[in-house]
Amino acid sequence: MKEWVLHLAVVKRKWVFWTVAVLTAVMVARLPNIQIDTDPENMLPVDNAERLFHNQTRETFAMPDAIVVGLVDDCSVYQPALLADIKALSDYALSLDGVIDQDLMSLSEVDNITQEGEGAIRFEWMMKQLPKTQADAAAIAEKVSRLPLLNNTLVSADGKAAAIYVPIANKNQSYAIARLLQGEIDTFASKAQWHITGLPVAEDRFGYEMFVQMGISAPLAGLMIFILLWVFFRNIPFIVAPMIVAMVTVLVTMGLLIGMGFTVHIMSSMIAIFLMPIAVVDSIHIMSEFSDRYRPGADVGKVIEDVMSHMFTPMLYTSITSTVGFLSLMLTPIPPVQIFGAFVGFGIMLAFLLTVIFIPAYVVSLKPETLDRMQHNLPDESSSRLAISVRGLGRLASGHARLWLLGFAVLFAISAWGISKIQINDNPVRWFKADHELRVADRVLNEHFAGTYNAYLVFQIEGDTGAVVAKAISSAAAGVQDSGLKQSLSELAEQTDVGQILTQLDDLLFDAATDDADKLEQLMLQLEHINSASKAFLQPQNLAYLDGLQAYLQQTGLVGKSNSLSDVVKTVNRELRSGQQQDFRLPASANGVAQVLLQYQSSHRPNDLWHFVTPDYQQSLLWLQLTSGDNQDMSAVVTQVAEYVKQHPLPEGMSYHWAGKAYLNVVWQQAMVAGMLDSLLGAFVMVFVMMVILFRSFLYGVLAMLPLTLTITLIYGLIGWIGKDYDMPIAVLSALTLGLSVDFAIHFLERARETFRKTGNLPQALHLMFEESGRAISRNAIVIAMGFTPLLFAPLVPYITVGIFLASIMAISALVTLLMLPALMSVLQRWAFKSQPAADNNAQSAATK
Amino acid sequence: MKSFTCLLAGVLLASSQLSQAADLTDASSIVKQAELAAYYAGDDGRSAARMLITDAQGRTQNRQFIILRKDREDGGTQDMMVFFSRPADVRGTVFRVVKQVDGDDDRWLYLPGLDLVKRISAGDKRTSFVGSHFFYEDVSGRSVSEDNFTLQKSDGDLYVLEGKPKDPASVEFTRYEVSIDKQTMLPVKIRFFDAQNRNYRLVEALKVETIDGHPTVTHSKVSDLKNGGSTEMQFRFISYDLGLPDDIFSERSLRTPPREWLNLKD
Repeated sequence: MKEWVLHLAVVKRKWVFWTVAVLTAVMVARLPNIQIDTDPENMLPVDNAERLFHNQTRETFAMPDAIVVGLVDDCSVYQPALLADIKALSDYALSLDGVIDQDLMSLSEVDNITQEGEGAIRFEWMMKQLPKTQADAAAIAEKVSRLPLLNNTLVSADGKAAAIYVPIANKNQSYAIARLLQGEIDTFASKAQWHITGLPVAEDRFGYEMFVQMGISAPLAGLMIFILLWVFFRNIPFIVAPMIVAMVTVLVTMGLLIGMGFTVHIMSSMIAIFLMPIAVVDSIHIMSEFSDRYRPGADVGKVIEDVMSHMFTPMLYTSITSTVGFLSLMLTPIPPVQIFGAFVGFGIMLAFLLTVIFIPAYVVSLKPETLDRMQHNLPDESSSRLAISVRGLGRLASGHARLWLLGFAVLFAISAWGISKIQINDNPVRWFKADHELRVADRVLNEHFAGTYNAYLVFQIEGDTGAVVAKAISSAAAGVQDSGLKQSLSELAEQTDVGQILTQLDDLLFDAATDDADKLEQLMLQLEHINSASKAFLQPQNLAYLDGLQAYLQQTGLVGKSNSLSDVVKTVNRELRSGQQQDFRLPASANGVAQVLLQYQSSHRPNDLWHFVTPDYQQSLLWLQLTSGDNQDMSAVVTQVAEYVKQHPLPEGMSYHWAGKAYLNVVWQQAMVAGMLDSLLGAFVMVFVMMVILFRSFLYGVLAMLPLTLTITLIYGLIGWIGKDYDMPIAVLSALTLGLSVDFAIHFLERARETFRKTGNLPQALHLMFEESGRAISRNAIVIAMGFTPLLFAPLVPYITVGIFLASIMAISALVTLLMLPALMSVLQRWAFKSQPAADNNAQSAATK
Repeated sequence: MKSFTCLLAGVLLASSQLSQAADLTDASSIVKQAELAAYYAGDDGRSAARMLITDAQGRTQNRQFIILRKDREDGGTQDMMVFFSRPADVRGTVFRVVKQVDGDDDRWLYLPGLDLVKRISAGDKRTSFVGSHFFYEDVSGRSVSEDNFTLQKSDGDLYVLEGKPKDPASVEFTRYEVSIDKQTMLPVKIRFFDAQNRNYRLVEALKVETIDGHPTVTHSKVSDLKNGGSTEMQFRFISYDLGLPDDIFSERSLRTPPREWLNLKD
């Protein structure tokens, strides 16, 4: 196969060039169809049960995504001018298409329920007239402080911040609407600080920053690699070849991804920057060897053929191991991570194919003068700074082998200890940098308010009211005389909505004969009874349960505030009675609750009730406002609720489920942590098996795995020790770095064996290893590590994490490989090189096949 | 003078003798006649109302109540009682309203579940009537003196008038268009517009019947065109000029409903 590939490359050059050009053109044509996906929900598969429940909850309780506008003033927001601004902005928001009017929450759009004079109650707009004086404004403060649902949600407890929640129908409009709101804010004369945030805005900004990353970091990485290649080879036409390989790999892979209809998520937006350095490393090996072997006047085809036959197998294996590392990501249950793994894996194999076909074809096509010039200009490798450092490294490595190994063992132990200290945590808001306007808004608003992170607890009563109703109707139907009525009743038994059934029975009643009418009336009473009994969340004891849970949550310190149907009922009940604190309680009967709620519904916002309970009163939503979006904190709340429920059993037939974005983040993070372990172990086993096959030796397989095992343990141990959260990017990187860092060991072991075969003397072989081979490995490590550094300038934290992480893991991995393997080889010389030359022939054949 | 933005009270009255042989051209006299037709038919009236409230998700709630009404004078002060019978958990809830031509209405409320009688300050009348898409004002009637009217069209069977509020800050609309049937003088369709001139709310008479000589809206509907959802209201067992005694329109009737006047079968 190798010969065939080489033949194709060298003889059918034009054919190769045209194929590459056409393929690239076809795939580039797909790029404009790019669809950005910034919804953190998509970290879970669309059919994930928790995700489905979350969305069902949002629909059932009408909880749309909202843009949150915050207003902060150092003294108080209760100033006539600021309240006027709030009203102006709210009115403006209401005038915009795409805003869900009835759910917009603002001081100017909510009702006040209050006592008026002796024995009268009044429902009116909180700010019917804009306050003209400071006293009027203070009166509004007084009203808000009495309404638990508004206090610390619409205006902070300290009175220094106010919020406007602008719910939007389609989050794709969030940017446009936020811009319009900002435009309106800019016209205000007051000097208060305004912040615009909220999940739809964050997602939108995120999508924008992703484009920035792809548009800036990826080309920067290209430039960085180009400069490094120039430093190494000093010949533009020569180094254009690997750049073409990198560009084609990136363009074809992205074109394929987009063409296949996948969206570009935060993970896949990094495909370009991952592929670029990985795509050039094989070329660097070929070109290093080529420039070493080529002498002016030599037959280019012959030289390249030599190089290729020498390098083909190690390159194939390093490409496959890298691919395995990325493909192992498909074992995680996170779709964007799977897609990322699949396409980078594809890209690496594509880069390998391009390298072995295109590079020889290209080099052979170069004019001999170009190659001669390249050869002539090439710096004297053996005296370069790199060469000197590598040689120094070699001296370090070969002395004190046992000491080194002891050091590595200690390092490993300390790192393993560090891993046990790892904190699993994430918070998508922190994906923005600390000084990003959204982070600032998030911080400021959470300082003042009870919390901008939402989680929902949905309580549900199980039970089949429909069956009971049908049975009651059927048995009544059996008793009536009139056959037409019998028929009508049996049709009614098919229906499910008791309210509707009662309405129709009411119609039937007035046409019925006296005897039948009595039976119908009995049936109606029976159904009414069933219906009332089914309305679980009108029962005071069930509301009292919510109340108890809320009181408990409040003292945990993690929940800034919770809101429930119980708060609504107690507030309205208080105002219906005395308006005094002693009446801030639940009515004694379900009918009392129903009548209180009938009053609540008689406001300007009758639909607000349905945020807390369904119209059949069988599901109720408890809304938790958390001041922290950290998954750790959300997880703690989940545990606390479970604990509470254990100690205070739910009323009979009642169950609860979690929903809300903050909770969903916990779900996908847990899925990812578990998935990543699978993926890491999967990749480890596969790469190990491949190493054993490649080297035809169990011992060499183990040797190949040791440096990367130490490196990965070291990096994660470090994360544990310094207390950096184990978050999305860090989780994703574990498996794929394994596939990348084993490359150094493959090249080192492969070449060490070959050198040993030539010299028959280990110390001398190891000494030689730190000449050309050590340089090639170091060069690759530098390219790949430096290639990721442009991510440090990216606008989003996960990119920066990936950049730092990959650059250091590559650098450390190369270093560890160059230090550890010689030490191990010295110590294990007896076993590693015992059956020489027999075993070497094997390896030789494996390596060159 | 009250309104007619509400067809609800239309049930209670309406007078065919108001219909004109020749078309009217004066907007204010058209709205005044419409108000009388919709809210002051007969000297008193009774009807059983059923509401089906459907939200934007298609979920429904029911309300059932009996309305008693007595005019102190035609086009003037009115007494009104609303007795709830369904859903069962609000049964026995009663509203008492004294509709005033000048000044705010007087309203009382009885909640049996809390054993509580409460006076309600009228405040804003454009709040939801018991969670439906009808406003209180739709039930009691919006005074024609609150808006300025212009006759827009007078072709076919309908007068189309435009109403603009005299105090725009007191209402959520900037204008509305009301179509009045020339024959019955009942408003049959009202379209409300917001500041962006979007028609966000629609009130329709779906069925008009002549009862005791009074054309009466027996089925009406309010639709929320912006957020979705609607409420249908049906009136049944309508009768006029029952001779309702004055003393049933009292605080005493809140706790002790006048059973004899609420029995629809008689």
